[in-house]
Amino acid sequence: MTTLLSAEGLHKSFGKTSALDGAGIAIREGEVVAIMGPSGSGKSTLLHCLAGILPPDSGTVTYRGQDLTAMTDNARSELRRTEFGFVFQFGQLVPELTCLENVALPLRLSGMKRKDAERASRDWMERLEVDTVADQRPGETSGGQGQRVAVARALVTAPKVVFADEPTGALDSLNGERVMHLLTTAARETGAAVVLVTHEARVAAYSDREVVVRDGRSRDVEFVR
Amino acid sequence: MVCIVLLMSIGHALLGLLEGGPRHGYDLKRAYDERFGQDRPLHYGQVYSTLSRLLKNGLVSEAGVEAGDGPERKRYAITDAGVTDVERWLGTPEKPEPYLQNTLYAKVVLALLSGRSATEVLDTQRAAHLRAMRDLTRRKVDGDLADQLICDFALFHLEADLRWLELTAARLDALAEEVAR
Amino acid sequence: MRRVLSDLALGVRLAVGGSRKSWVRLALQGAGIGMCVAVLLLAASIPTAFGNRDLRDDAREVVEEGTGPAPLLVENGSVAFRSDYVRGEYVRALVSDAPKPPGVDRLPGDGEIIVSPHLADLLASPEGVLLRPRFPQKVIGTFAPEGMDGPLDLRFLAGDATIQPNDGNQAHGFGKEGSGGGLPTVLLMLSIVGAVVLLFPVLVFVSVATRLAAAQRDRRLAALRLVGAGASRVRLIASGEALAGAVVGLLIGFGLMFAIRPLADDIPLPEVATFPSDLTPTLPLTLVVIVSVPVLAVLTSVFAMRRTIVEPLGVVREQKPVRRRLWWRVIPALGGVALLGSQAGKFANGSKAESWPVIGGVVLLMFAVPALLPWLVERVVHQVRGATPALQLAVRRLQLDAGTAARVVGGVAVVLAGTVTLQMTLASVENEVRAEDQRERDNPSLSVTVNETTPLPELPGVLAGTQGVRRVETLRSTYATTQDNDHTSVSVGTCAALELVVRIADCADGRTYLVPSGNGVGDPKAGDTLTFAKTGGTWTVPAVERANGNVFGLYATPAAAAGLDLTGSHTELQAEVDTSRPDVVEHVRNALAPYSWRVHTIFYGEDSTSEIEQVFLAVRRALYAAALLTLLLAGASLLVVGMEQVRERRRPLAAMAASGVPRRTLALSLVWQNGIPLVISTVVSVGTGILLGVLVTKAFDAEVHYDWTGIGVVTGISVGLVLLVTALTLPSLRRATGALGLRTE
Repeated sequence: MTTLLSAEGLHKSFGKTSALDGAGIAIREGEVVAIMGPSGSGKSTLLHCLAGILPPDSGTVTYRGQDLTAMTDNARSELRRTEFGFVFQFGQLVPELTCLENVALPLRLSGMKRKDAERASRDWMERLEVDTVADQRPGETSGGQGQRVAVARALVTAPKVVFADEPTGALDSLNGERVMHLLTTAARETGAAVVLVTHEARVAAYSDREVVVRDGRSRDVEFVR
Repeated sequence: MVCIVLLMSIGHALLGLLEGGPRHGYDLKRAYDERFGQDRPLHYGQVYSTLSRLLKNGLVSEAGVEAGDGPERKRYAITDAGVTDVERWLGTPEKPEPYLQNTLYAKVVLALLSGRSATEVLDTQRAAHLRAMRDLTRRKVDGDLADQLICDFALFHLEADLRWLELTAARLDALAEEVAR
Repeated sequence: MRRVLSDLALGVRLAVGGSRKSWVRLALQGAGIGMCVAVLLLAASIPTAFGNRDLRDDAREVVEEGTGPAPLLVENGSVAFRSDYVRGEYVRALVSDAPKPPGVDRLPGDGEIIVSPHLADLLASPEGVLLRPRFPQKVIGTFAPEGMDGPLDLRFLAGDATIQPNDGNQAHGFGKEGSGGGLPTVLLMLSIVGAVVLLFPVLVFVSVATRLAAAQRDRRLAALRLVGAGASRVRLIASGEALAGAVVGLLIGFGLMFAIRPLADDIPLPEVATFPSDLTPTLPLTLVVIVSVPVLAVLTSVFAMRRTIVEPLGVVREQKPVRRRLWWRVIPALGGVALLGSQAGKFANGSKAESWPVIGGVVLLMFAVPALLPWLVERVVHQVRGATPALQLAVRRLQLDAGTAARVVGGVAVVLAGTVTLQMTLASVENEVRAEDQRERDNPSLSVTVNETTPLPELPGVLAGTQGVRRVETLRSTYATTQDNDHTSVSVGTCAALELVVRIADCADGRTYLVPSGNGVGDPKAGDTLTFAKTGGTWTVPAVERANGNVFGLYATPAAAAGLDLTGSHTELQAEVDTSRPDVVEHVRNALAPYSWRVHTIFYGEDSTSEIEQVFLAVRRALYAAALLTLLLAGASLLVVGMEQVRERRRPLAAMAASGVPRRTLALSLVWQNGIPLVISTVVSVGTGILLGVLVTKAFDAEVHYDWTGIGVVTGISVGLVLLVTALTLPSLRRATGALGLRTE
């Protein structure tokens, strides 16, 4: 399988504290990779650099042959909007929009008509079993429902990579497992790769392999498949 | 089963201790108790029966006898075969299952004592644990509720092990300092 | 009760809680509220300022009645100088301890004069050169403030031994019981409208100030809930925090008030310039300010928390807002229109508009703006579905909480509406004044009235001999009342004389002319019977022709006035002057200076365009300054709310930016979010302002005049303000949407 997204020799500091110190990683098409490590190890920073949210101080990030670090901010925004999907721990849904509108937002930003965008979004919400809360606002749903709405929003643009940063961090075991199950199943069905940052082994167990980040350095622990 | 594991690890533990240089059986017991014995010191009988088994398998050799009688006067040294055995033991992850911290702990300490990479030991174990968890997760996802409950039980225990592995990994530096003393 | 107090105290304690942040917040609150308090206190001083003027006026009044021979003779010697008016009296003491008017140490003797400081300045200045010949006396002192209306009063008191006793100049003393003129209605109305206009930004700012660092406060309150404080007690504690800000604001406000008070006598308008000591808030109004500001602060903070439930583990906001109801929101608007409308027709049937319904109507209409705005914004926003994502984000946000934005923008709207109203009133008044001025200049004439008691047969000759005087005619004038008890003047003179005061082309002996009054009320008609006050005789008004002139009244040619008893009438010399000579009138007045109090000159045709411009420019500037200040206050409120919103929604904003939502979309949604309420409020407030302006001018029976430039400027400023506020919010949006926004602190 071909490498989709890779990073080499990433360095990133916030003030005096160094978050990444020569980390590297390679994501292949369609695989689910868990990035693990103790808190403060730099795993979220690695995800942010990989996704082009944060420019690294040095090192390269390559997505399908393009160097992300050499792209403009706008080009990276565009890439994130069209090729990537994101699920964060919490607070990613716009509280004023209904769940359906939240899911439809990325499609509408890409210029799709409201009706078409909302129809496609409704399909995804059904798949993630949250079509019942389509017309409610995020504040009126449970945490698990909210995260599944976020997953639907991440997947609705048919992204090549879904970045999930502690997607179950604010959920109990049962809801967390449900989100992970639906996320990985849907990603495997659509062929999207998933980069999953988590510190929970049971969540990481949904992955194909894991990468451990320690003190800003990553190491592939295992390669299966 | 537990007993055998213990026995197995005592053999490897003694071998690991001998890597630092030949010792008397009595010294070995003292070193073992200091490092791993905690609330359960070894019996002399256990030491000598293990040593004789290692001798029989060619992993240790007698390195001279001091004046006097009795087995406690013999000095033992590790053979090349013994070193290889220790190496293989450290490099092989334990089968992920409950209550193996004694063995894992022994492995980490011995790796540190012998100047090998303790992180390697921990990561190897970690990978094995995660593989097991991944299999269980797959079984759980495909199975019925009973499967799910049984798998979850195992998953939670394995997760606890993993946490211990992580915590130990985070404390390796402190442990190395203590072992070196 | 004791627990209530201790809860409030705890709130105060939390507000001043030591950390630098809380001090900054308290200072901001205090400064904002302080500014408002200072303005309110100034408004509360207006009654004192004008009341004191009245009191001093009354204290100066001559007491004519008394027993025995009068100890003092007083003759009015007020004289015009260009467009200024120098008030003063000539006196002659008949006894050594004659009574003296307030503000002077002793009565001036013959050839001595006491002047006001401003008159002394004017006489000493190059501008006063032409005034000096009229005051040749020796200056022996200046008036103390109690003898003057204000610091810019032009006033004198001169001694003249030639005054002979007659019926009208006897003085037994000075000072009358206050007739209680009070504040002129228009001024009262303007100050009340001004106060209402100012009060809304205060209200808005106070409620916004209590929201400063609301998230922080909510966390504190949640912590209090966690240790067992009940929901109502938490509200009390929050009120205590608001109270602290209000009290600090009161202190700052009083400080500011006393700091700016000394500037009152530097105001360049004599009518407005006030002694600083007169600028003292009245006790009742001061008490109202002292009580109402903290109460307002507490009420708004409680009101603002109405839909916020502080739970032990955080703050919950109700998700589904209640639909706003229209019915009570239209009551002020309808009431205001009804009240003002009821007064509009009053002038037509001759009665006067009552001031209280007018004031009430204005205030009610002002209330209507902030009452209607939230409802209107909500209605409009509900219709919009959001064509673009940016618009959708903004609209959804407004749908969820239209109230906050509408309240703040409502503050701007009230200022806008009030300013538009004041501008229109001002424009209408200015228009009228200018028209009057123009009318006079079209028909320039110098009229010299001779004191009835002193025959001055040589005067016409003196006058005619003065340079710049073309010819001199004589008019006889007297006063009469109609049967409807309206007063009118009746002047009799030859066509040559009449032509100088009335614009008539084809005068012929035997005709009678009428110069109508401004509003046409009380004009005598042909056939009316006039009764003359001096003689008690009557005269039937013949057929009259309407004509333009400077002074309202009847003008009759000798043949038409046959049978009219002119006993007791006074002589008016009408002079035609060459207005092309600069200051010709002042030269004429100087020529008449030796007659001092014996003659009074009135010149119609002084070109006072520049003075009018100056006065209205000053008033307009003051209006703009006040409007700008309040708009800035509202802008600051908007900024606080905007920043708060960005901070509150940091996570979703950062997450959106991370998932590739262009920052432009987010910024645009901010512009929409402020812009939609702004456009609505601008439309509403300009509309209300114009409606109010029309109704007010109608109620005072002036011609409606639209000040479009002024309306445009103020509207432009408020639109610019919202754009500026949005622009200022962008950096914090940038910070929030940066990758660091995703990091949990």
